Order: sequence, then structure tokens, then C-alpha cells
Amino acid sequence: MLIALIGLTLGIVLGLFLPITYPAEYSLYISVAILAALDSVFGALRANLEDKFNSGVFISGFFGNAILAAFLAYTGDKLGVPLYYAAIFAFGVRLFQNFAYIRRYFFNTGQSE
Amino acid sequence: MKSKRIIIFLIFVMLGYSIVIQVKNAEGEYSLVTLRTINDLNESLENEKREISNMKKIIETREAQLIEYQEALEHDGSIRQAIENELKSVKLSAGLKDVEGPGVVVTLNDSERELYDWEDPNDLIIHDGDVLTILNDLKVAGAEAISINGQRLLSDSEIDCSGATITINGITYAQPFIIKAIGNPKTLDAAMKAPNTYAWNLREVYGIVVESEVKEHLTIERYKGNINMRYARQREEN
Repeated sequence: MLIALIGLTLGIVLGLFLPITYPAEYSLYISVAILAALDSVFGALRANLEDKFNSGVFISGFFGNAILAAFLAYTGDKLGVPLYYAAIFAFGVRLFQNFAYIRRYFFNTGQSE
Repeated sequence: MKSKRIIIFLIFVMLGYSIVIQVKNAEGEYSLVTLRTINDLNESLENEKREISNMKKIIETREAQLIEYQEALEHDGSIRQAIENELKSVKLSAGLKDVEGPGVVVTLNDSERELYDWEDPNDLIIHDGDVLTILNDLKVAGAEAISINGQRLLSDSEIDCSGATITINGITYAQPFIIKAIGNPKTLDAAMKAPNTYAWNLREVYGIVVESEVKEHLTIERYKGNINMRYARQREEN
């Protein structure tokens, strides 16, 4: 948990001060990939709380989902179908579900203690 | 285990980094657009394109003119000739030049027959409206230059009723009205003589004098007054 927070902060600081950017055309793909990555992070958080965390699953999910989502958005753009909606929908729903599990976990432990 | 922690650490560094970059990138650079806005934008784009093509056409004609001038310059050593030619043709179509050619002379006069009991005396008088309609018929038949009692008909010439007389170009004339028109004599004559034309109607129904005479050689004088434009100005072309 702690290294995750440190890593996040370091990333944000790096992003704020490093002048490296990517072309604006890729904005959509990156944003969908970020959503997929966030979904993986929430999934990992939940797994961690349930003591089922597996770093292999997390890492593969993080990259796999992000790449798949970005690829879907890209293909959709080429085909003229907004396929990235599928990624936004799927990962959005899972994100909220995972968040719901995390909340329940906290409140349940609160009651049991 | 140690290496996996490092990987997780790196992953979070990447996540934070890409989120920040994305936020920085997205600022003001893209926004949600409705289909209607897209349609409107497309439409205005089309309009602009049309305007551009129009302008290109204008440029083409101007360039052709320029080439004409340049050719004249090369041949005669002066641009004067080309401009004089242009001025001549403009004056010709504006009615500022005497013109000659084949055409018809139409004579209009009040009816000479007796009034029927039920008839309105006005029906037997030639009116400004009659003259206007006949002029229009002549134009439809391809008249290129027209004068009435020697007054050249310009683009802003009026046919005004002033009692038993009519006023053309500010000058009042009484009957008979003699209209000279240059153009294809056959069609002009037909416009005055063919059954069911306005002229035929005037002649056969009301007995008004509408006589058309074909002339092989006809001269129409130019407009001799001044043309004062008080309100119309040349449009700035830019």
C-alpha cells in the first residue's frame, strides 16, 4: 500500500515537472487506458483487503486492460464505431463495483470488531 | 517478492504520470460536441467552400481580363485600346450611344372607334400600363435598344401616367407614342401582331391603335440627360 502511494505521488510530481508530452490525437486512447488502469488498481485494492492479492494478476491486468482498452478505442475510431464506449462502460461499472466491495469490507469489519 | 514490489511501484509511478499528462493535455483542447453542432459546423464549412470557389471564379475572370490587357499592351504598346473597347461596349449597353440596326417602329394611339353604351371611356385610351406591357413584350421578344418618342429607355427609365400624357425620363409626351425597338424584326413584329398578345388584344378588342412596322434600318438616339446616382454606390469588393 505504502509503495503504491509513494509511486503515485512520484508519478504526479514527475508529470507536473517533466516536459514530456504526447500528441493530442492520442488523448482519447490514453484516457481510456487510464480508466482501465484505474479499474485494475481498484481491483487490486479490493483483492488486497480480501487477502487475495496476486501481483502477477495485477500487473498483467494493469497492462493488458490498458492496452486492450486503447486498442479498442483505436479500432473503433478506424471503423467509425465509438467502441471506446464499451471500455468506458465495462471498466466504469467494475470500478464502482469494486469500490462498493471496498466500502462493504470496511463497514463489515467495523461491525465485527 | 522484492522485484514485484518494485514493479508495482513503477506501475503507480506510470499511472500518476500518465494521469497528470492527460489532465495537462486535455485542458481546453477537446470538449464534447453534439451532433447538431457538428452539422452546423459542417454546413458553415460547406458555405465557406462555396464562397471560396466563387472567389476563385472571380479571380479567373479577372486574370482573363488581365491577360487581355497585357496582350493589348504587347500589341499596341498601350493598355488604352483595351480599356476603350470595354468603355465602348459598356456605353452601348447602357444606352449612352446612338445605335442602329433592324427593328420595328410601333405606333400607339387612342382608339378611334365609337364608344359602346356600356363601355368605360377609359378603356379606349392608351394608358401608361399599356405602354409598359408593350415595352415588356418587346423586351421578351429580344429588343436590345428601345426608345419612346425619341427618349432612350434606360434601366431606370420610368413610364409615368400624367393625365392624357405619359412621362418618360422626366419629359412628358402626348399621343401618339412611337416606340422604336432594335432587335430581331421578325420576333418583335410577331410580339405586336400575333393573336392573343397584349398588343393584339388592345387593337382587336378596344380598337386602340397599335401599328407595327418593320424597318431594315433604324436609328435610336442615345440618352442625352445626366444619370445621377444619389443612393446607389459601387460596392467595395473586398
